[in-house]
Amino acid sequence: MAASLLLVSSILISCLAASCHGVTLSSLQKTLIVFVTASPSPGQVLKAGEDSITLTWSFNNSFPGRTDSAYKTVRVKLCFAPISQQDRAWRKTEDNLVKDKTCQYKIVAKPYSPSNNTFSWTVQRDVPTGTYFVRAYAYNSADEEVAYGQTTNAHKTNNLFQVKAISGRHVSLDIASICFSAFSIVSLFGFFLLEKRGAKHSQEN
Amino acid sequence: MADTEGSPGSSMHGVTGREPVLAFSVASPTVPTDTTAKFDLPVDSEHKAKKFKLFSFANPHMRTFHLSWISFFTCFVSTFAAAPLVPIIRDNLNLTKGDIGNAGVASVSGSIFSRLAMGAVCDLLGPRYGCAFVIMLSAPTVFCMSFVSDAAGYIAVRFMIGFSLATFVSCQYWMSTMFNTKIIGLVNGTAAGWGNMGGGATQLLMPLLYEIIRRAGSTPFTAWRIAFFIPGWLHVIMGILVLNLGQDLPDGNLGALQKKGDVTKDKFNKILWYAVTNYRTWIFVLLYGYSMGVELSTDNVIAEYFYDRFDLKLHTAGVIAATFGMANLLARPFGGFASDYSARKFGMRGRLWTLWILQTLGGVFCILLGRANSLPFAVTNMIIFSIGAQAACGATFGIIPFVSRRSLGIISGLTGAGGNFGSGLTQLIFFTSSKYSTATGLTYMGFMICACTLPVTLVHFPQWGSMFLPPTKDVVKGSEEHYYAAEWDDDEKLKGMHQNSLKFAENSKSERGRRVASAPTPPNTTPNYV
Repeated sequence: MAASLLLVSSILISCLAASCHGVTLSSLQKTLIVFVTASPSPGQVLKAGEDSITLTWSFNNSFPGRTDSAYKTVRVKLCFAPISQQDRAWRKTEDNLVKDKTCQYKIVAKPYSPSNNTFSWTVQRDVPTGTYFVRAYAYNSADEEVAYGQTTNAHKTNNLFQVKAISGRHVSLDIASICFSAFSIVSLFGFFLLEKRGAKHSQEN
Repeated sequence: MADTEGSPGSSMHGVTGREPVLAFSVASPTVPTDTTAKFDLPVDSEHKAKKFKLFSFANPHMRTFHLSWISFFTCFVSTFAAAPLVPIIRDNLNLTKGDIGNAGVASVSGSIFSRLAMGAVCDLLGPRYGCAFVIMLSAPTVFCMSFVSDAAGYIAVRFMIGFSLATFVSCQYWMSTMFNTKIIGLVNGTAAGWGNMGGGATQLLMPLLYEIIRRAGSTPFTAWRIAFFIPGWLHVIMGILVLNLGQDLPDGNLGALQKKGDVTKDKFNKILWYAVTNYRTWIFVLLYGYSMGVELSTDNVIAEYFYDRFDLKLHTAGVIAATFGMANLLARPFGGFASDYSARKFGMRGRLWTLWILQTLGGVFCILLGRANSLPFAVTNMIIFSIGAQAACGATFGIIPFVSRRSLGIISGLTGAGGNFGSGLTQLIFFTSSKYSTATGLTYMGFMICACTLPVTLVHFPQWGSMFLPPTKDVVKGSEEHYYAAEWDDDEKLKGMHQNSLKFAENSKSERGRRVASAPTPPNTTPNYV
């Protein structure tokens, strides 16, 4: 009994401790430079599932040379711009990265190298309609965020691009839906009329 | 049957006020008037079952029970089918919190009107067609989800699907044609509670279907649309079963029976008048809005709440949300039972206290649910909240039959509509604007539940008292006969239209609690036993 109580309480405490030690965005250095070139042309709305974007990222050499010694992997993510977060608390930005919901779509994860990083990504079919930017996080060997870079400025006001989602509708679904609806209505009224006619017959007989 | 049925005052026909009066007047020589052997269950003189055999499907009584509650269950499944899938739908249709909230309000608003209309439909066409019409005409609205591409379409379709909740009325009406009034409370409470479970089952079913369809290769934004076909098919299947296997009355279908006899049908405007001028009606309309209403609101928001607040997977959030609705299996019948049990000792005052305690308990745990920061506490608070709210629903309908004898049907309908209205209002105030997080919304909803339950202290019956006041000492005004006969004017009393009310009054003396044996006979109100 005491042992299980101790176990439960130690699990609870370690959970609390983990959330206390969540890395905050404001504590990270913005040492990476990330560029995105939308294809075919900037300013055009990208269609999910069809259009692609090309990303390049590299270490910003204006920082001292040994700053990036701890970086092991880089994860590039698609993030919501403020306009797509309005009235949508499930996309809210929080400084604590454990709770932050700004960047919900993973683009790519690669081992860190200071330059010559490019990746071409076709916008996935489950990306919703909205305005986005791209952010790259650098992780150390303990898989904690240690640095980041993003395509837009600190206020997230420039270099944003738009994505138009797939509708999810299909002609085959529409046709099936119409067929079943028609079946429902026809069978209801058919049954009703048949019964009425049957009742009339038995009354006449 | 050599027991008390048929003896003066024992027939409770018409207590619900919703049975067709022609049941009295089936005089065709081919219908036997004695009650032996024809039915699987023991029946009374109107061929209504006197026993409730849960695991039987025998025609007509238990088969009707199962067809009825499963149809109502199906409509709950489709009305709340979108709720556990909102995290996917909101991305597909680019919804804001306002859109999601408005859709939730729309989903419960449609049935306010459809439930009121259903009463008339059941009177005209019978409950079998009433149920079948609603369930089969709302099947296309469920299939329409495959066409939705923006917020307006989503809100419109959820509004139309919500009309199907009118099957509550056909369910209760149909039960009252098939079951004797001594057990109708338990039967109706079980049917309503098990139907309400659909709101919980859907939170399990839809994420599961979505997951299966996605694994079969579909993209998320198409998978949820395909998932909606299953509730649609359930509508069609249940409609066909109801038409083929169901019958309106124990002896057959409405159209096939001959109508004879000189019964005076009551006037609608009279029934309406006595319903709306009884202040107790409106108190219970408000109260039901904060027991059933909050249950419906929570069905709409709870899965998304757990998904977002605690970062759960979609189907985990669905499982937790499902336990809320599934508690109806036992909680609602328990509420009815608790009401009956407290009435045995304390009469109507016990029933009122039971209702207040259960509903306030639900409110307190709703407050705590919104404040809980850890998953185990949140789930525990949610479960106790669900038991409190759902038991309060059952307890409410333990009191409603005594508010009025003449206008019981309309009062039940108004109370039911009040439940939906309360749900729409609560979702509009607390879960639509971005001013409050959902957690804060739940807490405020809990406070509102506690506040809106207080008016039950004002419900006073002259013959039985209220929560804090004893019954009136006046011998005439303090009699049950006086209360129920007051709903008829002198002309109607001369015609003898109030006889059933007097019979009911005699039977309702059980609401005095342990004082029944010492009830004095009022001087000038000897009931005339016809």
